[in-house]
Amino acid sequence: MAGRQSTLGEEGIAEELAESQRQISIAEFFEKNKHMLGFDSGARALVTAVKEGVDNSLDACEEADIFPDIYVEIEDLGDYYRLVIEDNGPGITKEQLPKVFGKLLYGSRFHVREQNRGQQGIGISAAVLYSQLTSGKPAKITSRTKGSKAAQYFELIIDTDDNEPEISVDETTTWDRPHGTRIEIEMEANLRARQQLHDYIKHTAVVNPHARIEFRDPKMDEAAKFERAEGAALPAETEEIRPHPHGVELGTLLKMLEATDSYSISGFLQGEFTRVGATTAEKVLDNFRDRHFGREMAWRPPQDHEGDVEVAVRAAVANKGKDATKSFAREVADTIGERERIAHHELREIVDEAAEDVADGFGTTFGSTVREKATAAAWAEVVGDTDDGEPRETLASDLYGLVDDATSSRKDDATLSGLADRIAAKFLDSEDERHRCTRDELDDYVQRAAENTEEYDDATIGETARENVREEIWGAMVTVPDDPPNVSTIADDRDSASQLLEAMRETDIISPPTDCLAPITERLVEEGLRKEFDADFYAAATRDASVHGGDPFIVEAGIAYGGQLEDGGPIDVMRFANRVPLVYQRGACATTDVVKTINWRNYGLDQPGGSGIPSGPAVVMVHLASTNVPFTSESKDAIANVPEIEDEIELAIREAARELKSFLNKRRSMRQRREKQDKLGTILPEMATKLSEVTGRPTLDIDDSLARIMNNVLLTREVEDGTVRLVVENNDSTNAEPEITDIVTVEPDSVEADGDDARVVEMDGEWFLKWSPTVASGEEAALTYEIDGEASFDVSVDGIESAKLTVDGEQ
Amino acid sequence: MSTDTDETGTETEGDARERLLALAAQFYDQFEQGDVPHMDVPTRTKSNIEYDPEQKVWVYGDRKSTRSANSVRGAQKLLKVIYSIDFLANQLEEDRSSTLRELYYLSESWDLDEAQFNSQDESNQLIEDLEIVSDVRREEFHMRPEESGAKVMGPLRLREQTNRGDREIHCQDDVGQGGYQIPNDPDTIEFLDNDADFVLCVETGGMRDRLVENGFDDEYNALVVHLGGQPARATRRLTKRLHDELDLPVTVFTDGDPWSYRIYGSVAYGSIKSAHLSKYLATPQAQFIGVQPEDIVEYDLPTDPLADSDINALESELEDPRFQTDYWEEQIELQLDIDKKSEQQALASYGLDFVTDTYLPERLDEMGVL
Repeated sequence: MAGRQSTLGEEGIAEELAESQRQISIAEFFEKNKHMLGFDSGARALVTAVKEGVDNSLDACEEADIFPDIYVEIEDLGDYYRLVIEDNGPGITKEQLPKVFGKLLYGSRFHVREQNRGQQGIGISAAVLYSQLTSGKPAKITSRTKGSKAAQYFELIIDTDDNEPEISVDETTTWDRPHGTRIEIEMEANLRARQQLHDYIKHTAVVNPHARIEFRDPKMDEAAKFERAEGAALPAETEEIRPHPHGVELGTLLKMLEATDSYSISGFLQGEFTRVGATTAEKVLDNFRDRHFGREMAWRPPQDHEGDVEVAVRAAVANKGKDATKSFAREVADTIGERERIAHHELREIVDEAAEDVADGFGTTFGSTVREKATAAAWAEVVGDTDDGEPRETLASDLYGLVDDATSSRKDDATLSGLADRIAAKFLDSEDERHRCTRDELDDYVQRAAENTEEYDDATIGETARENVREEIWGAMVTVPDDPPNVSTIADDRDSASQLLEAMRETDIISPPTDCLAPITERLVEEGLRKEFDADFYAAATRDASVHGGDPFIVEAGIAYGGQLEDGGPIDVMRFANRVPLVYQRGACATTDVVKTINWRNYGLDQPGGSGIPSGPAVVMVHLASTNVPFTSESKDAIANVPEIEDEIELAIREAARELKSFLNKRRSMRQRREKQDKLGTILPEMATKLSEVTGRPTLDIDDSLARIMNNVLLTREVEDGTVRLVVENNDSTNAEPEITDIVTVEPDSVEADGDDARVVEMDGEWFLKWSPTVASGEEAALTYEIDGEASFDVSVDGIESAKLTVDGEQ
Repeated sequence: MSTDTDETGTETEGDARERLLALAAQFYDQFEQGDVPHMDVPTRTKSNIEYDPEQKVWVYGDRKSTRSANSVRGAQKLLKVIYSIDFLANQLEEDRSSTLRELYYLSESWDLDEAQFNSQDESNQLIEDLEIVSDVRREEFHMRPEESGAKVMGPLRLREQTNRGDREIHCQDDVGQGGYQIPNDPDTIEFLDNDADFVLCVETGGMRDRLVENGFDDEYNALVVHLGGQPARATRRLTKRLHDELDLPVTVFTDGDPWSYRIYGSVAYGSIKSAHLSKYLATPQAQFIGVQPEDIVEYDLPTDPLADSDINALESELEDPRFQTDYWEEQIELQLDIDKKSEQQALASYGLDFVTDTYLPERLDEMGVL
């Protein structure tokens, strides 16, 4: 992969490009980089210019809390194409003008984590420059800020020598919009990518249901209007967040180290990153220490027969008084004896503590020289470096235990002893008496010891065994308390910075907050689809926020099915990143890959061959909102195959697809039900007629039987001596919740109902009895009431599909 | 000799019609009560037949399948039942008859497509359902199969009611070489007198002709009944009547393969498809002559190896309740063991007269018939 967004986004490309730009003219620079900027062909240039202009307008409106109303027009002028983009945004002042439209790569924002469209492209200024370079015409900008009486008209030219925008015309004009901005540029272009252009506009309308867009190209008689979805709100405002420790790369980290005001690494971590407090910073620092300083080996303290720490320490102390010395030596020896394992710096701490205690108790000062001597003497005892001791043997026997624990029981004793002995030798050979080493050095010890053991002891020690031994020993080693270098030292030292980055990555840190993301939301994804596609069914799913690297992201998916959607070919997959449609490189996109791997037959869509893009009258849309969208390449047309993101895309699509499946199942079962009903609707009456004929009995009424057969909900009415009884019989396999309204011409009395209470409302001399029972499968519920005298009834039932409902006994 | 007829259920035609109409009335009542019209029919599979020790035949067990109008398929079935009832009731009223095949074609003329039969199997099965549910035999509906019953040759004099009046026939003297044709409903026959000692049912036409040519019926006072493969109901009914009314022992002579054992089975125990009529059609006392697997070994007959389908059929017979007797288990296992089968005609390997001069007399003697 050519790299992810973080090296390409504003902080990456922008700076890189800005750098090269200093040496050559802007025109040359543009020529060199136009493929990256999206202006490598006349067809693509038009799409890119529209895209940048529309994104710019949408952002401007949203920032000012205005529902966007955008007009895009492309005119064919013969030699050139003219592109006009108008919005109802806040307008723009003369001072802002050069920054927004003029200066290429202006205001690149350094390591900001926020979901914004701007991530997508290089800005409208590139379009302005392109138009000027190809047509020689200035950009014409009309702007009116809210409340101002008149609009302002500017013409803007970029000085290609120094990339400085110049305003060549500045005059007052009239404009019918109360506020907004209009930009008009002329450029060399063609309409060969007309389909992409239309897709871009339509797809933009889908994911920005709060926006109203009009679009017209030279081949259209009138503008296509993409209306705002009813009730669509502006996207939630997003919070900028500091980067997450898992989401930065070395270059970024180095820059942050240079830019920070913090002195200490701990302060830097807490101040510049999200989700890092004092505890987490300390964990990162410990991991950093392990890498930077290495750990110290902690050995088992000597057993009684192995040496006498107390004697050795006493001997090392001179001229401090017998009692004080004895007390000091005993405390050191006792404390060591209590430890399971002890490292050099821990020993030094014990000595220091004992010295302080003795100073308190005896008033004798044990200075640093004495302490060092005592430490050395005690350490010599710990590692067995005494007159009658053999350090290699002592350490080997200690290591034997660890090696034994780490390897399988099948290894014979001689091999284990040999290995332990050789590792012990490595520790003793090292220049560091404190037995301090990094993980890599330790690995080297183990590897060499293992190789020698294999060579001389005719044993086999596999890679896994070596790894286990290394991890066992590393686990017994202790992180050192040394102070880490300060920020400026690390900033100057790439290796230390790299160690810091590794330490940050290794540390478990809670995921970044997700309120920096503004998903479209399920409801609006559905609304967006609904307003742009005339389908029978819509479903949408918005996943919870998730994290990859240090960047939070949210995936949303939507499906529209049936209706006027085209059937027959593969379905349309619409891809979006931060509300911007991805138009090119469909095949390279993670979204497409995920759609292809799903078994769509499970969800009721055809999928020739069982994999690949399904076919049928459907569209699928996938939106990835992230503070940092990983693209496959500079052109930002395809989302990279990041497993965490792919998983979420799949879950989102499946969530929406499940709804599609249940819709299709329901539709199928309704169809079968209807077919069954149609068929039985012919057969049973014929049967009844024939039966009457054969038996010579009267004509049969078979509606009740039909209802039973169809698993229907049956509503019957019995009227007897002024008592009316409405019975709902549920022959279905699930609960039925009919909403029954019985309109009676006289006032019903003594109303009694099963389940839900019935309500009576009088309106214009008619009584409306409303009753909404819940009737379990196979059960019935009854409503009874009394009437005085003759009455007529009119019953209606809601909440039951009409195909399943049989109303019987109508009078 | 007609004492049994009442018991075996020869109803008058008026009864048959009434019973059919009662079935229609039952559907009518179900509709009227708001129920779904339905009828229960015993499940007609091997696992649902059981031995009736009283009648000594195999009848249907308690398992039932329901034909209900709650599905399109079930509704169509019932619709066809009702149309068939209508047709049969009319046929009885007009005192006419028709064949099963005619019923199938006749349904084409019914105005409703859904009531028409899709195959003759369907109409045949429906008639069987009707027989079971209404307890009226097909013959009483005046339904007959396309092929009429097989032929009898032997010293028997009978009287048959025909459309052209009663005829007295002697089954040797009054018939040609082909023998006496058994009518569709043998209950129209009255036995007058006979000199027969036993009944010999023969599977194949070739063997029957051989026995007749060799004068076996004359020599041994045998009533030679041609089964012609799986015997028609009329043949089985007549055989039963010969046994029950004339007190003649019944023997069955077939090929020596699993399919032929089933022919014997349907004569003796009743068939699975018509187990509801077993008490009326089956002759439990019928004895199997052969060709037995044992004979294949004993007479060293020319054989063919068993095909896979033969082996499957034999194994299936081992599980068939009708064949679970010591004799059949022994014979079937022997056959599986020798992996051979023989036809009746294999006896000709010892000469054309071997069957009549040697094999049959020996076997019949062994069986205690001669």
